[in-house]
Amino acid sequence: MTTFPTVDGLRALDEKHLIFCERLEDPLAFEQGQFHFSAKDNLCARDFQARAGSRVLKGYRPPFDATPIRRLKEIGGLLIGKTNMDEFGFGTFSTNSGFGIPRNPFDPERSCGGSSGGAAAAAALIPEHLALGVSTGGSISCPASFCGVVGLTPTYGRVSRWGLIDYGNSLDKVGLLTRTARDLERYLPVISGPDPKDPTSQAQPVLSMKGEVTSVAVPTEALADLSPEVTAAFGEALKELERNGVKVMEVTIPSLRYAIPAYYILATSEASTNLARYCGMRFGVMNQEFDQGFNDFFAQTRSEDFGPEAKRRILLGTFSRMVGFRNRYYIKALQVRQLIIREYNKVFEDCDAVLTPTMPFIAPRFDEIARMKPLEMYQADFLTVPPNLAGMPHVSLPCGYSGGMPIGMQAVGPQWAEGSLVSFARSWEESFHFRFPEVRA
Amino acid sequence: MDRETVSKVARVARLKLTDEEIEQYAADLEDIISAFSVLDEAPATDEYDLGPVKVEDVLREDVVSRDSDPAELREGMKTKNDWVRGPRLS
Repeated sequence: MTTFPTVDGLRALDEKHLIFCERLEDPLAFEQGQFHFSAKDNLCARDFQARAGSRVLKGYRPPFDATPIRRLKEIGGLLIGKTNMDEFGFGTFSTNSGFGIPRNPFDPERSCGGSSGGAAAAAALIPEHLALGVSTGGSISCPASFCGVVGLTPTYGRVSRWGLIDYGNSLDKVGLLTRTARDLERYLPVISGPDPKDPTSQAQPVLSMKGEVTSVAVPTEALADLSPEVTAAFGEALKELERNGVKVMEVTIPSLRYAIPAYYILATSEASTNLARYCGMRFGVMNQEFDQGFNDFFAQTRSEDFGPEAKRRILLGTFSRMVGFRNRYYIKALQVRQLIIREYNKVFEDCDAVLTPTMPFIAPRFDEIARMKPLEMYQADFLTVPPNLAGMPHVSLPCGYSGGMPIGMQAVGPQWAEGSLVSFARSWEESFHFRFPEVRA
Repeated sequence: MDRETVSKVARVARLKLTDEEIEQYAADLEDIISAFSVLDEAPATDEYDLGPVKVEDVLREDVVSRDSDPAELREGMKTKNDWVRGPRLS
């Protein structure tokens, strides 16, 4: 049974949310058994433009629904809007969008996290709302942590990527952001499963929602470089888990130190080839100066409409694949990914999940973000990148609050073991009280 | 990473950068690539794959079908007699 959320707060927060408000307030919009959901703007749907946070895609209206969107619509889901994001997913704070910056519902001076920032804000603000997000290197966990919601990133290949605007093909995963773990249980089976249109989804084992987490391993490498409030909240969460009968052990995963460079090499290599398709004649912005030469024509749209971070990642990825550097960077990064997978699997011989904080700090203020160098921003992902690189499923859950801002923890399971993570999330929400933002009109 | 390398990479990637952009990206990429040299310390193996999970070829029945209407896909593109328009080749 769908309840109708109050939308005054949503409207007050930003007039860009009007499309959500209109659909949520329309009493004729919902029939019995229907529910509302939103999609990150890199997922294609017939209902709206798909711009993936990029000016280069302005005006692009897909003539099809991405598979996860189609599957949700088929069981009565009403798509109420698309959510803002870093351009093509390139960012940790959603500050790299070509269409404004989403703000944290707990404190508008702070970031929602990224790159699924708008999705996390929607999940936090709208009761009983399901937000589809996408993670390449942590883009579901990070905003879930900053906005105090539950964020599930399935195993690579569990959910079809058909209709998703590619960032890194070997890394992209569609997942869920919601207020409750119960919704993960309800909707993960809907969006999962083989899809002939995405070959990487075809080899998956059947999704089992059984399984539980009775022991967790905390890698010592994850406990350095945390802010004091995150260290404190995570420590309390571990104590609470032990009181609930979960065995907590400490381990080392030495290869984690290679995860950030390996990830950024692979992600930008793949992104720089994927972004070659935006050349002013197929999607979004159309170059009409047909008298220009081939290279000038393509370079014009790309130079004018890609944002600064997109250009930075195209340059890094193109460089990593160039003759003379390919073996040193790209091939080495592929080897490191397998090394990290082996080390995770070794840890999973003795425990059910690897547990860390999700982000090393609470949602930063925009003035703090403006002072960060690109490398610092990349390094902020050191807890969310490893499971993403390794294709392991993971869930971020609120585990504490500091100065009114949420703090998240992230549980990583073996490939295809989403069921035990969902069960972990459900037991956690029974013992820990989640808070949601109060936004007044 | 010097300005010359950044300009060369930008040409390959079909990006026209201003002098300020070249300056900024040369500094940023120098920072990033230096930090990433930690990869040189990682043990080298012959074992690698292009993705994190094994992907098997699963073939479908060879049945003729059409997912999208080509006319719909062309919407928004600049066309002439149903052909997509592009720049001169030389």
